[in-house]
Amino acid sequence: MKRDLERVEVPGEHEARERAWGVVTAAFAERKPIPRPSHWPRVAAVAIALSAVVAATVSSPGRAVLDEIREVVGVERAQPALFSLPAPGRLLVASDEGVWIVQQDGSKRLLGDYREASWSPFGRFVIAAGDNELAALEPDGDVRWSLARRGPRSPSWTGSETDTRIAYLTTTRVHVVGGDGTGDADAGGPSHRVGPVWRPGTGFTLTHVDTLGRVSAYDIDSGQGPWRPTGRSRSFRGPRKLAWSDDGKRLLLLTRRQLVLFGSRSQTPLLVRNERLVDAAFRPGSRELAVIRTREGVSELLVARRSLFSGTGRFTDLVWSPDGRWLLVGWPAADQWVFVRADGKRIRAVSNVSAQFRSRSFPGVEGWCCAP
Amino acid sequence: MRTARDERARVRGAQEGSVSDLEALFRAHWPRAYRAAYLVTHDAAAAEDIAQESFLAALRALDRFDRRRPFGPWLHRIVVNRAIDWTRVRRLRAEVELTDSFHAPVAAVALGDDVLAALARLPPEHRAVVVMRHLLEFTPGEIAEALDLPRGTVNSRLRRGLDALGDEL
Repeated sequence: MKRDLERVEVPGEHEARERAWGVVTAAFAERKPIPRPSHWPRVAAVAIALSAVVAATVSSPGRAVLDEIREVVGVERAQPALFSLPAPGRLLVASDEGVWIVQQDGSKRLLGDYREASWSPFGRFVIAAGDNELAALEPDGDVRWSLARRGPRSPSWTGSETDTRIAYLTTTRVHVVGGDGTGDADAGGPSHRVGPVWRPGTGFTLTHVDTLGRVSAYDIDSGQGPWRPTGRSRSFRGPRKLAWSDDGKRLLLLTRRQLVLFGSRSQTPLLVRNERLVDAAFRPGSRELAVIRTREGVSELLVARRSLFSGTGRFTDLVWSPDGRWLLVGWPAADQWVFVRADGKRIRAVSNVSAQFRSRSFPGVEGWCCAP
Repeated sequence: MRTARDERARVRGAQEGSVSDLEALFRAHWPRAYRAAYLVTHDAAAAEDIAQESFLAALRALDRFDRRRPFGPWLHRIVVNRAIDWTRVRRLRAEVELTDSFHAPVAAVALGDDVLAALARLPPEHRAVVVMRHLLEFTPGEIAEALDLPRGTVNSRLRRGLDALGDEL
């Protein structure tokens, strides 16, 4: 039987392998490797750690140091569960179990076995991507429509009360489908894995990053896809995120080593800042940026270059509340979500985040949207 | 010859950022991953996506991977589960563009088409069990664990699968 199964001719095996290897190496290049383990003898390390603990517990300065260490690997007095959100709106969360909606009162509903999701323009629906499905859902989990597609990713929904479009990625292409699930079309490509984004405002202008790291814009109103880019920037290495400001006047491109800002018309950047940032996000209704940066193992949240909060390890998921008054930051090393008020005067933390979403890995926040 | 020790070294190398170790793992395990996905889905494009996405999933979880365990079965388990999910969704959706080629007459006669046609007549869940046992060389106990099935169900699916294949072949 094994011989029979091995002699089945599998079409395009070698070409498929080379295509896949290209995608796997690109993903690998974006991954942060775990540090090589130290070659110190373990016994010596354990002995040093034990002596430090003994020294710490017998002296009051030592106890102070221990308290400080506890402080930096998680916010003390964090709530054991998410009892409420500090600002109006609802969260979309993706965990190993699927995609969840969290209401302002902290109640949660599992929408289904999807990998990622985003809100419709007015928060009435959710567009979710599963392994082989793109689905528009009611906030209670009812499926409005779904399309069977192979590995759809990064869905993004835009439009007015009467006309909406959804962009999403397949393995290498950008697709656009109507908000009612009809008229799915190949919009362009080949595309990088960075999610495509819609320019806020009138019309349907879609921006995405191609496989050469160029930001391209398409006018989706004109004719049928695939569309030709109406504008295209130079190449940027290691793109990670694309985002528009709410007024549609600034486009942010975050790469592994740079923060790049474009204006609405020029393909030449207004600003290129050489800085390694983990994440960046425009404040709703503003062009002000919040960023997360990590230096020497310490992450820091900054708004308008002012440090609001820092801690040991890596922060993830920088998300603004819809009213632009609070920021949510994920802190996987502490298994906490930290809500930081944008003026830096209040911090609220929630512990045991993974368990609350029945997840082995740290859940990702997909969006914080408008109140129902 | 690849030994378990070599593989552990490659997994460690990949965890620490070595592209050559990652490539060695990829080249060693891609053929079976892709073949397994194809034998379950009978769709080359889907098999490519499934094998590729499985490698990406493995990559995302690489830091947490226990190096004492073999890499191949871990990866193949992801592949087969995704392939089963894909066939279920396709069966449910039954969209026009995804015309069910499982039951279409085999036009070109390629090497192994008789095996493929015989497999195509089995339900996807049975195909997966046959592929895991006879291509990927999982034990029935390992299949039961990987697919979250009772051991007896695995054995009966294997028996029925082999009976059906025996009749066809």
